[in-house]
Amino acid sequence: MYQIKMPKFGLTMESGFIEKWFKKEGDMVKEGEPLLEVSSEKITNEVLSPVSGILLKIIAQEQEEIKVGTVIALIGEKGEKFQEYQLEEKPERTVLELEKEEISSTKIVSLDTDRERRIKASPLARKIAQENNLDLSKIKGTGPDGRIEKCDILNFLSFTSKEKEFKIEKISGLRSTIIERLSKSFRDAITLTNITEVDFTLFKTIIKEKKVSITSGLIFVLARVLKELNKFNAHFNTEKKEYILFNNINIGIAVDTDKGLIVPVIREVNKLTIETINKQLKELADKARMNTLRETDIGDSTFTITNLGMMRTDFFTPILNPPEVAILGVGRILKKPCVVEGDKITIREMAYLSLSYDHRVIDGADAARFLDKIAQYIEKPEFK
Amino acid sequence: MREVTFAEALGEAILEEMAKDPTIFTYGEDIARQGGIFGAYKSLLGNFPDRIFDTPISEEVIYGSALGAALVGMRPIVEFHFADFLFTGIQSITLQIEKIRYMTGGQGKLHLLLRGPDGISKSAAAQHSECIETIFMHVPGIKVIIPSTPYDVKGLIKTALREDDPVICFEHKMLYRVKGPVPEEDYTIPFGRAEVKREGNHVTVVTISRMVYESLKAAEELEKDGISAEIIDLRTLVPWDRKTVIESVKKTNHLVVAHETWKRAGWGAEIASVVQEEAFDYLDAPIVRVGAKNVPMPFATNLQDFVVPDYKDIIKAIKQILR
Repeated sequence: MYQIKMPKFGLTMESGFIEKWFKKEGDMVKEGEPLLEVSSEKITNEVLSPVSGILLKIIAQEQEEIKVGTVIALIGEKGEKFQEYQLEEKPERTVLELEKEEISSTKIVSLDTDRERRIKASPLARKIAQENNLDLSKIKGTGPDGRIEKCDILNFLSFTSKEKEFKIEKISGLRSTIIERLSKSFRDAITLTNITEVDFTLFKTIIKEKKVSITSGLIFVLARVLKELNKFNAHFNTEKKEYILFNNINIGIAVDTDKGLIVPVIREVNKLTIETINKQLKELADKARMNTLRETDIGDSTFTITNLGMMRTDFFTPILNPPEVAILGVGRILKKPCVVEGDKITIREMAYLSLSYDHRVIDGADAARFLDKIAQYIEKPEFK
Repeated sequence: MREVTFAEALGEAILEEMAKDPTIFTYGEDIARQGGIFGAYKSLLGNFPDRIFDTPISEEVIYGSALGAALVGMRPIVEFHFADFLFTGIQSITLQIEKIRYMTGGQGKLHLLLRGPDGISKSAAAQHSECIETIFMHVPGIKVIIPSTPYDVKGLIKTALREDDPVICFEHKMLYRVKGPVPEEDYTIPFGRAEVKREGNHVTVVTISRMVYESLKAAEELEKDGISAEIIDLRTLVPWDRKTVIESVKKTNHLVVAHETWKRAGWGAEIASVVQEEAFDYLDAPIVRVGAKNVPMPFATNLQDFVVPDYKDIIKAIKQILR
């Protein structure tokens, strides 16, 4: 008997959302074969079967959010008894779902509630609604007692056909977790942004010579700055009021994919050469876009960089990637007339850097020092 | 086409069939000499003196003798004088006439026609104003016809006189003088064929007899409000034309059943029930019945008007479901 538990994809992952089971109860599974698909707030991943055997029992169902470490399935030999295991650890619902259950159970105090909730609609209205795949709860009835009648359905249909310009998309489990998490971080953190303009002329020249990307160069530079200003390479736990400073520098890179924003991570950047960073970055970005990121590619970042330079954005105010305390935003590099030494005007390649930070642990002067340092490294680049 | 009254059309049907079929004879109270209390037999006066005759007041004997005559091959037409009086001899009808064909395994034909006036007139009170067709629709074994026009009464009576089953025909007192087109040539109207008296799109009104006229009047009034009512005259209750009614309800999605008889357990309930069974998904509102209030008919005319439904009640019912 082997217990399949909800895996932990990253340092901050607390629960996983079961998107899909690839196997049914009673199916034969081989070691290394995809067993189910789980999404965390950061990534959707296939979970591979660690053993070969028969999938005896699926304990946690699709569309359920399950705490990390909870037993979600049992794999064993054919006919193996598992009753006693099944009840040992039940899938735990997250707080949110427990709240939901409490609300609904307190609501059903009166026996009439269910009857009251019944939507009043004429038989004909029901039939037309069914034929058009309409949800009656979305339609307002104008008949006696609010009964939905044929005319209400037809009005609704003519309205919706007129308003075909928009469509409403339901936010899925994964995305709604992201929303909750980001909203929480936004409410908790006191986010400020400092902005400075930096001369990229020399930086770009060297980057070109080295045949690496601008982002790779920036990551390399960031590692130097973060080593010197350790307080930016940190997490802040609001609940425990813990400020965790890391020695290793793991840089998260915001990648735009058709599934939305994904933040793969390059680990221990402080130990890597710019060429290695460039190589790893390219691989991660490709995987992100191909939707083939593994759990090891995600999570545990200590600082995040988001580069909109390739698009038409000059500067912006990035939102923190919780529980990190700062994030660097990069704007587009533009040739501009600049006043240089000797009060001469010359053409330079300029870009804005925006540093958002959590003012609960980082002060404005710290942020200014950070920007000053990174500006210096960019304006006098050395990639050693 | 020439126009004749309802009574004249009825008389024509009986005389024409009597001329063709020597087994037909007709009897009842006050018909041969008086021509019927509401003049139904006026046009028969002086014809077939040996085959049209009066009887004493004895319903049990009148209906019972008709049963015997029919069983030996005659075609009696019995006038019941007032529909209310059917109760006086009801056992002959419900226990014998309606059952003999079944209980003999179909050995005995029972061509027999019970006919007479029903419904309100002016202050005829509780025992002379009733519409009791539902009872005969309920107890199996007899066909029930209720014509509303001269054309219909002639065609339906002729069909009845060529049937092998017992038939009961209710003729509303207030319709005997109604005039309408009736062709001179011979024709019959099959049972179980409703007539759409007026086409409409918003609501179906199923009705019979005098209420056909009230329904048509209601439809005219409603037209001013932009409501288009379809009026269906069932003409016969056993059998009744489900197909026409259901087709209409599928078109209008609304149904009102209007009859003069009591609303409570009146035949409208049967129509409503069948329609919801067979066309549930086409109903956009509850089916509403229009019928008399559940009391014996009062003598006072104002109270009679209060108890008996008319076109205003039909309009109210339609507006209630169409809003």
